[in-house]
Amino acid sequence: MPPLLQARALVKRLGGRLVVDGVDLTCHAGQVLGLLGPNGAGKTTTLRMLYGFLSADGGAIRFEGVDVSKDLDRFKRQLGVCTQDDTFDGDFTVRQNLEIAARYFRPRPPEVPRRVDELLERFALGPYAGDKPEALSGGFRRRLMIARALVHRPRLLFLDEPTTGLDPQARVAVWDLVNGLRAEGLGIVLTTHYMDEAERLSDALTVLAQGKVVAHGTPKSVLGDMLGDHVVVLEANDSTMPAVAAWLTTRGLGEPMSVLGAWQLPLSGEQLADFAREFPALRYEVRPPNLDDLFLKLALPCAP
Amino acid sequence: MRALTAALEWQSRAVVGRHLRVYLKNWHTSFLPPVLEPITLLLAFGLGLGAYMTSGVEWNGRPVGYMTFVAPGMLAYATFMTSIFQSLFGAFIRMRYQRTWEGQLTTQIELRHVVWGEILWAGLLTTSYVAIMGLVLSCCQALGLIQLELGYLPLVIPIVFVSACAFAALGLCFTALVPTIDHMNLPIFLVILPLGFVSATYFPLGHPVLAAISTANPLFHLAEGLRGLLLGDNSGYHLGSLAGLLALMLSVLVPLDMRLLRKRVLGD
Repeated sequence: MPPLLQARALVKRLGGRLVVDGVDLTCHAGQVLGLLGPNGAGKTTTLRMLYGFLSADGGAIRFEGVDVSKDLDRFKRQLGVCTQDDTFDGDFTVRQNLEIAARYFRPRPPEVPRRVDELLERFALGPYAGDKPEALSGGFRRRLMIARALVHRPRLLFLDEPTTGLDPQARVAVWDLVNGLRAEGLGIVLTTHYMDEAERLSDALTVLAQGKVVAHGTPKSVLGDMLGDHVVVLEANDSTMPAVAAWLTTRGLGEPMSVLGAWQLPLSGEQLADFAREFPALRYEVRPPNLDDLFLKLALPCAP
Repeated sequence: MRALTAALEWQSRAVVGRHLRVYLKNWHTSFLPPVLEPITLLLAFGLGLGAYMTSGVEWNGRPVGYMTFVAPGMLAYATFMTSIFQSLFGAFIRMRYQRTWEGQLTTQIELRHVVWGEILWAGLLTTSYVAIMGLVLSCCQALGLIQLELGYLPLVIPIVFVSACAFAALGLCFTALVPTIDHMNLPIFLVILPLGFVSATYFPLGHPVLAAISTANPLFHLAEGLRGLLLGDNSGYHLGSLAGLLALMLSVLVPLDMRLLRKRVLGD
């Protein structure tokens, strides 16, 4: 059975600049695909091509094995999109926002009033149904955006940084909703800057840097491929730092990641053993890598 | 070709439907301008300025009362200004501040439908506006203030609708180009008001240079066409010229709007 969404060799130029350069990705039904990368990596442009907002300059997007360019309208009927910024209709109430969104799809979603009631209840928006969206808190605005993206019962949902700017409680509420949607069999493509969010929610990660896919797989395998098995953390003001820097250079490991006066060195098991032999008197901490490390590594201009 | 046929697709109607729902929510305030504008203008131009023009004006070689001369011009000017301002300010606010377009574009609605939705909505709104003005003018006729051939008033409706759509297409070009809402002054003062002045809406164009320039102005042909129709004169030349100019505007400006707005809204 073909995947729900499959993109191959996507290319996009904006203003003469190559923003997306040969991106491949796949999302299955009932799966959350996390799309990660530092600012300017091409995440939002990739997402916008995937949901038909932008046309690709090269490559192909397939929905259940069918090239979407052959019938974009039919493809878009299957999509729900929650953009990074709130784009609800400020002229209407919360309930009317859901009703008006249903009018933008054909075939028309069946039993719209019942579906709207269902979404209001599920997203705990019932008490605010008659209010304008501007009156809602940030967390409830996000809920409205996601509810609106679901009004026509799509099979694939795009969430562009769905929890940016939310407090921890509201973030957890959105995570619960996303988990519930995955359990119902929706394919979900998610971009986020929060590494804990990506780790908790994503079944698979695609990591972009400078418009290219630099890693793909489960969160654990991506970390292993990109960073190795360990991260060595040591104080950057130690007198042995020049020697450590020279050791990194001779082994082709590039510059260390510097965070708040500490150096972080992602190393494989073999490299860690070598490091321990080379610097027996040095005090340092060893911990498993996380997605924050990956993000920092990608954001470093000289990262190897 | 697809840029033009998108006007007939359901998505364009869905966009119009959205604007209509918002308009009907505020119907009590929305009806005020078309009722008050002709009354105010007839008082200002007709009774005020007209009091100094007791012999009326000469139009097509015959004398016409000034208020009777002004009334069809008022319909033409309202067509022009209502549609242009709707596609300038209304569309700009929806595009830039309310982000209504972006929300619509995440559905089955494409940019070409948003553009046509805005154009058709401006046409519909303007037509309803002019229809209400027509009713007010009928009351003025009953009071003996003006002498029009009111039997031709229904013919005005389709002419106004198509004209308003073409003017809205012009307005959307500026919406796509101006960086901020403050920059709207540039098209208003450099293009829209000059077009309004050289149009024979409120006064006859006696100067030969102005008369020559006005032949390329669709608003002039609209004003003179409606005047010919409502004063029972021959309006074939002006309505024919108007049809040609409107067809040219729609076939050139709508694809241009889509191209410019694609860059502005989608960054593509």
